[in-house]
Parts: sequence; structure tokens; C-alpha cells
Amino acid sequence: MTKLIEAEGLKKSYGTIHAVRGIDLSVEKGTLFAFLGPNGAGKSTTIEILSAQTAPDAGTVRIGGHILGRDDMAIRAEIGIVFQDSVLDKLLTVRENLMLRGSFYGMKRSALENAAKAAAEAADVTDFLDRPYGKLSGGQRRRADIARALIHTPPLLFLDEPTTGLDPQTRRRVWETVRLLQKERGMTVFLTTHYMEEAAQADYIVIMDHGRILAGGTPAELKETYTRDILRIAPQKEEALAALLKRCGVRFQKTGGELVVRLKHTTDAIRILESCREEIAGFEVRRGTMDDVFLNITGTEVRD
Amino acid sequence: MRAMAKRNLKIFFRDKSAVFFSLLAVFIIIALYAVFLGDTITGGMESVTEIDFLMNSWIIAGILAVISVTSTLGALGIMVEDRANKVIKDFTASPLGRGSLAGGYILCAFAVGVIMSLIALVIGEVFIVCAGGKLLSMGNMLAVIGGIFLSVLSSGSMMLFIVSFFKSQNAFGTASTVVGTLIGFLTGVYIPVGSLPEAVQGIVKVFPVSYSASFFRTVMMRQPEAVSFDGAPQNVLQEFHTELGVTFDFDGKETTVAVCVAVMLAAAAVFCTLSVWRLSKKRK
Repeated sequence: MTKLIEAEGLKKSYGTIHAVRGIDLSVEKGTLFAFLGPNGAGKSTTIEILSAQTAPDAGTVRIGGHILGRDDMAIRAEIGIVFQDSVLDKLLTVRENLMLRGSFYGMKRSALENAAKAAAEAADVTDFLDRPYGKLSGGQRRRADIARALIHTPPLLFLDEPTTGLDPQTRRRVWETVRLLQKERGMTVFLTTHYMEEAAQADYIVIMDHGRILAGGTPAELKETYTRDILRIAPQKEEALAALLKRCGVRFQKTGGELVVRLKHTTDAIRILESCREEIAGFEVRRGTMDDVFLNITGTEVRD
Repeated sequence: MRAMAKRNLKIFFRDKSAVFFSLLAVFIIIALYAVFLGDTITGGMESVTEIDFLMNSWIIAGILAVISVTSTLGALGIMVEDRANKVIKDFTASPLGRGSLAGGYILCAFAVGVIMSLIALVIGEVFIVCAGGKLLSMGNMLAVIGGIFLSVLSSGSMMLFIVSFFKSQNAFGTASTVVGTLIGFLTGVYIPVGSLPEAVQGIVKVFPVSYSASFFRTVMMRQPEAVSFDGAPQNVLQEFHTELGVTFDFDGKETTVAVCVAVMLAAAAVFCTLSVWRLSKKRK
């Protein structure tokens, strides 16, 4: 696997606000990379640095062989960005927006028309190509934003909270589009989000807060390291079960009429369930989720 | 740069309210003139032949000067709006040179200025002819069109400099209201220069746009003056000129068309340089 983005020691401050305080990142080619963090963690600033919009105060970045600060134009030509805000012209139609933006990448008229058509198809905006951007719904706008980011078929796509503020259906649709693009075109996708279920589908996740990277890994690795599986048992008789578990030396908590056991290993559940089989009315073993990972990592940091 | 200019033009002309507000000062002038200014200014001169032709030409000349300011300012509003709406992020994140970006706004403002001025000229000429006047002669027409390019260049540069200070749409809105209101006075369109207090006359004389107005008035009033002031002594004509801001008087010396052209060029050069300096400083 080759690295598409390699960043070292990135720092950026705005006055006394230290948005990014020295982070290292590397993103492998063709992967879906999710950048997670609460609001104000420094995700957007990091994206701005990586996409050559803002110069960092310190640090080096290499994107596909180009060095940030030296080859900014080349970097800009190879990335597509879907911004948090709507950045297309409301008074122009989607097609006009695409044609204009396409012209920034030095495409000639006929190539431009084909590119606009391809981008429109990829982002599924062909139905409203000739409607003014300002008259579109939130979900349609988002798809148009994605089409704009794809106009020059960039090998690297940045998405800054692409699904924030969309209804669940639209969110899924946007997400599917992104996923499809990444898989079919082998595009590298760099995404920030605060929806855990989205991040859970990424190939690699980095969690950031207060301008620092707190953890990184595949979703499975993170869950393994930062969460415990949970066993919930609904008892026949609560006291009897509680007493039984105590005798076996199992620690538990009572919540809502259920006894909750935090497991070291998922398979431990089998032994516990076996030992108190008679007292069980029902049970559930739940694997740790990305939500747990996120809360454990950022929550701890806040308390520190 | 051309693609950006085209985009800006499309956005400007599709935004009906932007077009309307950039012409607001013109509508005010026409309304005031129709209601009472016309009578006030021509008062006591009813006996002069072709007085309507003369004064209509005067007012259209003033409108041409005003429109070069308000229309370019309106077009440059797109730049402020892009900054406020963060649309500009999409441009700076693209492989588009900063020069092409700024150039796109400037080219658009220039084109809007010229287009609006030409439309005003056509409508103005139709109005003059309908009111019993004559069409501009070929030579004068070409001079006026040339003057339009110069005056848009000079006023547009001034507006670019002003706009370089604004980041929010609110500030820009306020500025365009102030400019739209003051411009009629500063160019001596609402009230003839001669009727203004001495101090204000001084301001008018150093305000570059006054020289655009002076240029248009001189050229456009040549034909009616030849009739109205036929056989009149030179000093009467000169007094009339300084009174109405056709020319300006410096220690008994009248300004000429050449002076107007020089002032317009100088203003364009100065404000262009200042704007480039401001815009490049901001890039950091």
C-alpha cells in the first residue's frame, strides 16, 4: 500500500486559539479515512491545511509526491473538496456551476461537457441539472456539491461533514454515493464526521480533540482497545441471580431491571451464562460500538 | 479569468435587486428632475431657444457619470458577497490563480459599467429626441462612447478601492447607500455646481467623477449650445458652463475636455494601484 497523504507535526493557531497542536497523519491510497472528533476539535482546520487552503504554522505535508507550500497548485488540481457550507452559486443552475468550476482545471469545452455529465451521473444529480442551485433541497444541494468536487475526477476527495443536517434517508443516499465512488474508482476519501455509524464503515479512523490526535486504527482495532463487550441478563428473580453472580465472582451493575456485566472477552459470556442458566429470563451480548470508543476516548481526555 | 468574469456577469444580471439598486441613484435623479429640479434649474431661462434640448442633454450627461459609479459598485458587490458567503473558498481551493480571481471581478465590473452606461445612453438619446432634441452627431457619439470607457475605468477603480475594505454585506450595503446618495451631489447632478456653497464646490472640483460628468456634458451639449447660445458673447457661455458644471473654473481658467481625460486616466491609475496594493496585502 502506498501512502497518499503524509503529514508531520502540523500546527496552526489563530491568535491565542491553538486549533491544531502538532499532529501526524498518514492516509493510504484508495482507502476511506474517517476523521472523528467533537465540534471544535480542529478537524476542519486540518482539512484546510491538507487541501492547501490554509498554510500551517509548522509541519510538512506530502500529497501524492507534491509538497504542500511548494506545489500548492498541483495539489489543488488533484483534490476535490465538499465543504461544510454550500459553496456553489445559488443563482446559477447546477450545470452552469459544474461547467464554471470545471474550467478552473483547464478543461476544453467538449471535455468539460463530458466531465460535467460524468460527475452529474456519479453524484446522481442529472434530474435537476438545469435547476438553479439556490432552489434545490438540502440533500440535492449536497449531491450537487459532491458532483462539483468530482468534476475533475480527483484521486483524493475531502468531505467535511458531508451529511450534517440531512435527514436520515438523504444521509444514507449521500453516504452510499461516497462509498460507491471510493470502491469503484479506487478514490481515496478523507472524511470528517460526527456520526459514529458512518465512521464505523471507514477503513481507518483517527480521533481528534483539542487539536491533538488521541487515537487511530481500524474500527475493529479501536473497538478492541477502547471498548468492552457487554452482557445484559434479564433475571427470573433479581435477587437470586444477583446472589448467584456474586458467588461466581462476576462484577455487574443493575440497570432498568437488568444486570449488566462488562466482559473482557466476548466468549466469557458463555461461562457466565452457563453458571446461572436457571435464573435467566433473557440475555443479550452486545459488542462495543464506535459510540463507546468515541465517548471513552474523548470523554477521558475531557476529564484530564 | 474570462470564465469567472462570465460567471460574475450572469450572477449580477440574474440578481434583479442588485441591478435595481445599482440603478437607484439614476431613478432618483430622473424622478427629481421630472418633478421639480428641471423647472428650478431652467427657471428664468425659458426664453432661451432649445432650452429643453440643452437641459435634457445636461441631465443625461450627469446620469452617465453617476451610472459609471453605481453600476460598477453594484457589480463589485458580488466580490463582497462571495467573501461573506464563503463561496470564495471554493475558488481559492481550486487551481485558479489569485490574479484570475480578482481579474474576473474587475473585468465583470468594467463590463457591467460599460453595458449599463450604453443602455443609459441609448435610453437618454431616445428621451432627448422624443422631447424635441436631436440625436448626437457621429463624432460626438463616438466621443461619448469613448468617454464611457474612460469614465467606467476611472470610477470602477475608485469603487474597487472602496470595496477592498468591506468584508460583510452589511458594510457594503451601507456604503452603496451612502455612495448612491452622495454621488448626485458630488457630481452636481441634483443641484448645479454653481448653486452649491463655495466649500462644497471645492469638493466637487477635486472629486474625480465630476470630470467624467464634465466630459459628458461638454460633448453632449455642444449641439444644443450651438443653437441656444448662437451669437452670445464668450463670457456668457463661460459663466453658464461653470454654473452647470460643464467646465470648472480655476482662477479664471476653464478646464477643457483634455483635462477631463487626464483626470480620469490619473484617477484610474492611482486607484488601480492602491487596490492592487490592498488586495495583495490581504493575501497573507
